[in-house]
Amino acid sequence: MLEVRDLAKSFGAAPLFEAVAFGVAPGELVALVGESGSGKSTLLNILAGLERPDAGSVHLAGQALPFGNDEALALWRRAHVGFVFQAFHLLPYLTVSENVALPLVLNGVPSGERAGRVLAALQSVGMARHAGRKPGTLSGGEAQRVAIARSVVHGPRLLLADEPTGNLDEANAAQVLDTLRSEVKRSGAAGLLVTHSPVAAAAADRVLRLSGRHLAAA
Amino acid sequence: MNASVLRLVLRGSFAGNKARLALTVLCIALGVALAGAVHTLHASALAEIERAARALSGKADVEIRGPRSGFDEALYPLIAKREEVLVASPVVDLEAPLANSPGTLRVLGVDPFRAARLQAGYVAGSSSANFTWSTEGLDASNAWLTPAALARLGAQPGQTIALRSDAGDVHLRIAGVLPSLDAGGDAAVVDIAAAQERFGRVGRLSRIDVRLRPGVDAAAFRTALASVLPPGVVASAPASIATRAESITRAYRVNLTALALMALLTGLFLVYSTLALQAARRRQEHALLRALGVTGRGLSFLIVMEGALVGVAGAIVGTLLGLAASRAILRRSGTDLGAGYFRGLDATFAPDPWALGAIALLGVAAAAAGCGVIARAASRLDVAAALRDRALDVPQQRSGGVIAAACLAALGAVLLLVPPVTGLPVGGYLAITCWLAASVLLVAPACRGALQHLARVRDPVAALAVAQVRHLPGHLSASVAGIVVSASLCVAMAVMVHSFRVSLDAWLQGVIGADLYARAAEEGDTVRFSLEQQGRVAALPGIARVDARQYDRLAIAEGAAPLTLVARPLDATILRGFQAEPAEPPPATSEVPVWANDAALDLQAWRIGDRVTIPVAGRSIAVVIAGRYRDYSRTWGALLMDLAAYRRITGDSSASDLAIHLRDRSQATAVSAAMRAALPEMGSLALEDGTSIHRRSLEIFDRTFAVTYALEAVAIAIALGGITSSFAALAWSRRREFGLLRHLGLTRREILRMLALEGAATGLLGALIGLASGAAISLVLVHVVNRQSFHWGMEVHWPLAALAALVLALVAACAAGASWSARAALRDDAVRAVRDDA
Ligand SMILES: Nc1ncnc2c1ncn2[C@@H]1O[C@H](COP(=O)(O)OP(=O)(O)OP(=O)(O)O)[C@@H](O)[C@H]1O
Ligand SMILES: [Mg+2]
Repeated sequence: MLEVRDLAKSFGAAPLFEAVAFGVAPGELVALVGESGSGKSTLLNILAGLERPDAGSVHLAGQALPFGNDEALALWRRAHVGFVFQAFHLLPYLTVSENVALPLVLNGVPSGERAGRVLAALQSVGMARHAGRKPGTLSGGEAQRVAIARSVVHGPRLLLADEPTGNLDEANAAQVLDTLRSEVKRSGAAGLLVTHSPVAAAAADRVLRLSGRHLAAA
Repeated sequence: MNASVLRLVLRGSFAGNKARLALTVLCIALGVALAGAVHTLHASALAEIERAARALSGKADVEIRGPRSGFDEALYPLIAKREEVLVASPVVDLEAPLANSPGTLRVLGVDPFRAARLQAGYVAGSSSANFTWSTEGLDASNAWLTPAALARLGAQPGQTIALRSDAGDVHLRIAGVLPSLDAGGDAAVVDIAAAQERFGRVGRLSRIDVRLRPGVDAAAFRTALASVLPPGVVASAPASIATRAESITRAYRVNLTALALMALLTGLFLVYSTLALQAARRRQEHALLRALGVTGRGLSFLIVMEGALVGVAGAIVGTLLGLAASRAILRRSGTDLGAGYFRGLDATFAPDPWALGAIALLGVAAAAAGCGVIARAASRLDVAAALRDRALDVPQQRSGGVIAAACLAALGAVLLLVPPVTGLPVGGYLAITCWLAASVLLVAPACRGALQHLARVRDPVAALAVAQVRHLPGHLSASVAGIVVSASLCVAMAVMVHSFRVSLDAWLQGVIGADLYARAAEEGDTVRFSLEQQGRVAALPGIARVDARQYDRLAIAEGAAPLTLVARPLDATILRGFQAEPAEPPPATSEVPVWANDAALDLQAWRIGDRVTIPVAGRSIAVVIAGRYRDYSRTWGALLMDLAAYRRITGDSSASDLAIHLRDRSQATAVSAAMRAALPEMGSLALEDGTSIHRRSLEIFDRTFAVTYALEAVAIAIALGGITSSFAALAWSRRREFGLLRHLGLTRREILRMLALEGAATGLLGALIGLASGAAISLVLVHVVNRQSFHWGMEVHWPLAALAALVLALVAACAAGASWSARAALRDDAVRAVRDDA
C-alpha cells in the first residue's frame, strides 16, 4: 500500500536522514522508533505531505505524492490520510461528533450519510456515548480515542500517528493502542505509529528504527 | 471549500468571546454611522435647497441674475422683447428683518401674471373664491405667504406682519396662503412694484426668470445674451442657487465626511489587529485544518470570509445607526452641524442610497482587505511547526517595512504638489493616507528598536512584563499600530484647530479696531444707513470718528464663485490689521487699488499686480490687485476697496455697518443710548462693542469645530475599545500562563499590574509615534487641505498642553484597558487554566 524510496531530508547543512526506504502493507501497523531528534516526526510529516523531502518518492496505492503542488497535496491528504497527534488537536468549539465529522464534511460526504459513519467510527473507539460533549470536558484518553475516530472516519489508506500515547497513562495508552491497531486491521489502511514506548512498539506488527541517518528493521 | 465546512469553522471564529465580537462589529458600525449621518444631513440640506429653488423658478429655462444690490430694470424690456423669449418674469428678491421678532423673511416681489406662467403656484390661491389678483394682488399692502412662512411666523391670514426697511417699517397684510409653493420654503410673495417702492428698490430688479419658446436652445440663448447684459449681470441655468449652494459648501461637506471616514479607518485598523490576533491565537486550529486537507487557498478564503462577515454586520448596523442618528438630528436641530452653512434650514430627511451604499461597501471591503493580509500569512503557515508549538504572536513582516514606509512618505510628499481637483484637496487627502500608512509600517521596526533599548528592570513583575512584551513583538506592533492611527489623527486635528484658532484670534485683534460697531440690521439686506443718518451719528458727542462700510456680492460669470466687495476706508493701520501684504496703499494712479483675499486669488487665478476689471454698479471697473489680505470670515473670494473709491464709482453713499471710534472708551453705553435716540426710525439698529464681536467670533469658531471634536472623540473611543478588545483576546489566550504564574506564587493583583505595565508601554509607544506622524499630518491640514478647501492661510501653533494631556490619557487608558480586560481570564482557577487544553 505505502512505498517509500530513497527518501532524504536535511535542515540546513546537516542531513537528518538519507536513503530511507520501506513499505507498509494494507492492514499492517508498523512502529517507528528512534532517539529524540532523529527525525521520526519529520518523516511522518513528509508521508502526510506536510513537509517536502530533499530527494526520493512516496507512493500510496501506486500513486506518487505530488510534492511539487501544495494544493494537490492538501486535496490528496484530505482524501487519503488520517492523522493522530500527541496533542489531540480537537476543535474546542465543536462537539465530539462534529469533530469526528470534519473529514467527511471536507470530503463533501452528504449530511445524511455522515451521521451513520460518525456514529460507527465513535462506536468502534467506544466513544459513542459521548457524541454530544465538548472536547474540553474529556479526559486525555477519551480525547485521543475521539481523535482516532476522526482519523479513520473517511476511510483513509494511510493512518499516521505521532506519539499518540505520549500524553497518556499506561491504562489509557493501552486502550488507545488497542483501538488504533483494530482500526488499522478493520479498515485495511497502512498504519505507521511513531513512539518512544516499547509497550507501544510491541502492539505493532513490525518495528523500524531510525538512527544514524538511516532506517533499519529493529 | 464547501458551505458546510465554512459554517462549521466560522462558528468557531464567532464562538469565542461574544462581547469582543460585538465590539469589533461596533468599531466598523461607528465609523460607517458617522460618515453616513454626516453625509445624509448634508444631502438632505442640499436636496431641500434644490427643491426650493426649483419650486420657485418653475418652468424657467434661464435665470438672469445680478449682484446683491440688483440691476437696472431697464434691462427687462430688452429681454422680454427678444423673439426667443416666451415669458420673462421680473423678480425682486429681498431678505427683510422682521420688526417684532428676531430673524428675517424672504420677500419675493413678482409680476403675478408673468410669474404664474412659469410657476402656477404664485397664483394658486386664485382658484379659491376669496382671491383675485386683479383686485387684491395688486394692492401694495398685501402679501401671500408660503405655508412654511405662515407656520414659522405663527400668523393667520388677515393679520399684519411688519418688516424693516430703509424707508421705515413695511406693514403687510397676509392676504392668503400659496399652498403649491410649499416646497419653496419660507417666503412672502408681494407685487413687484410694491416691493420696489416700499423696500427702497425703485427701478431695480434682482432677477429675471425666462421661459424660452419651444425649440430655442437655452445654452445658445445664454451665449447670445452675454453681449446684451450689463457687467455684473449673468444668465445661467435655473436653480443655479442650488448648484451654487452645492459648490460653496462642497469643501466643507467633503472635509467633514473625510473626517468621519478617518474614524472609519481607525475602526477598520482595529478590526484588522483584532482579527490578526485572533488568527494568531487560532494558528494551531488553522494548522489542523491544513493537516486535514484544507488547501491554503481554502484557508485564506475562510479568513477573508470572517472579516467580510464582520464587515457586513458592522456596515448594516452602522448604516441603520447613521440613518437613525441623522434623522434624529434633523428633527431636533436641523441639518446644520455647527458651521452655519445650513442654519435654519428645515429639510426633509433625504438619505442618498448610493452614497450610503458606497460608505457601507467601503467598510466591508476594507475589513475583507485587512483580512486578506492576515489570510496571506495564514496560507503560508508552516503546518508541521504550528502543530507542534503554541506560539501566540501575530506574524509580522520581518523586513522591508522601513523601505516601504520611506517610499510611501516620499509618495505623500509628491502628492502634496497636486493642485486641487474641483476645489477639493484630493492630493492632500491621499498624502495623509500615505503618511498614515507609512507610520503604521514604521510601527514594527520602531517597536523592535524600542524593545532592544528597553532597560533592565529590577522589579520582578515589571521584568515579567518586559519579557512578555519582548516575547510577542507582533502583538505589540499590532496594538501600537491601532493607537497610532487614531492618535495621529487626533494630534493632527488638535494642531490644526489650535493653529487656526490662534491665527483667528490674532486676526480678530487686528481687524476689530473700533470701539463700537453699528449694523443697520442684524440680518437681511433691506436696511442701510443713509448718508444723512451717518452724519447724525458722527455728530454725536463722544464719537471721535465713524467709518462706514458697505458690501456687495458681485456676479462675475455663470457658474463662477461669488465675489464679495467690501468697501471701507483703508489706511495702513487697517491694512496691517487685515495682515495685508503689502500693507501700504500704492501711489495714486488712474486705477483703483483693491486687496484680494487668498480665496479670490486662488479662485480667480489672479496675482498681485494684475490689472483686472470687475463689474460694479452695472459698469466694468478697471482695478489693480494691490495686494493680498487675510479674511477668515469668508471662504470664497472677497475684495477690499477704499470706501471713497466705491462711492465715486457707484454713487451709493449708504452703509450697512458703521465702525465707531470713541473719544472715551468707557462711554460706550452712553454713546449707544445716544445713537439709538439719534436714529429713532431705525428699529433694527444693532450695536455691539469690539470685545463682544471678538468673543462671539471665537464662539462661532468653536461651534463650527465642535463637531470635529466629537468625531475625534469617537475615533479615540474606537481605538481604546479596539485595544481593550485585543488585550482581552491576548489575556484569554494567556490563561495557561497566568495559571502558571499563580502556581509560582504571583497574586492576582501582581498579574494585573504586569498587564497594566504592558498596556502602558503599548500606549506610550503608540502615542509617541502618533505624535510624530500627527504633527506631520497637521502641516498637510494647515498648508494644503485648509488652504485648498477654504483658502485660509494660517500659521502653525502647537497646543503643547493638550498634546501632553492626550499622551497621558492614552497611556492611562491603555493601562486601564489592558488590566481590566484580563479580569475575565483571571477568574478561572489556576488549576484549570494550566490543565486546559482548549
Ligand atoms: N523546521 C525545522 N527547521 C530546522 N530544524 C528542524 C525543523 N523541524 C525539525 N527540525 C530538526 O530536525 C530534527 C528532527 O526533528 P523531529 O521532530 O523529526 O524529531 P523526532 O525524531 O520526532 O524527535 P522526538 O522524538 O523528540 O519527537 C530535530 O533536531 C529538529 O530540531
Ligand atoms: Mg517527534
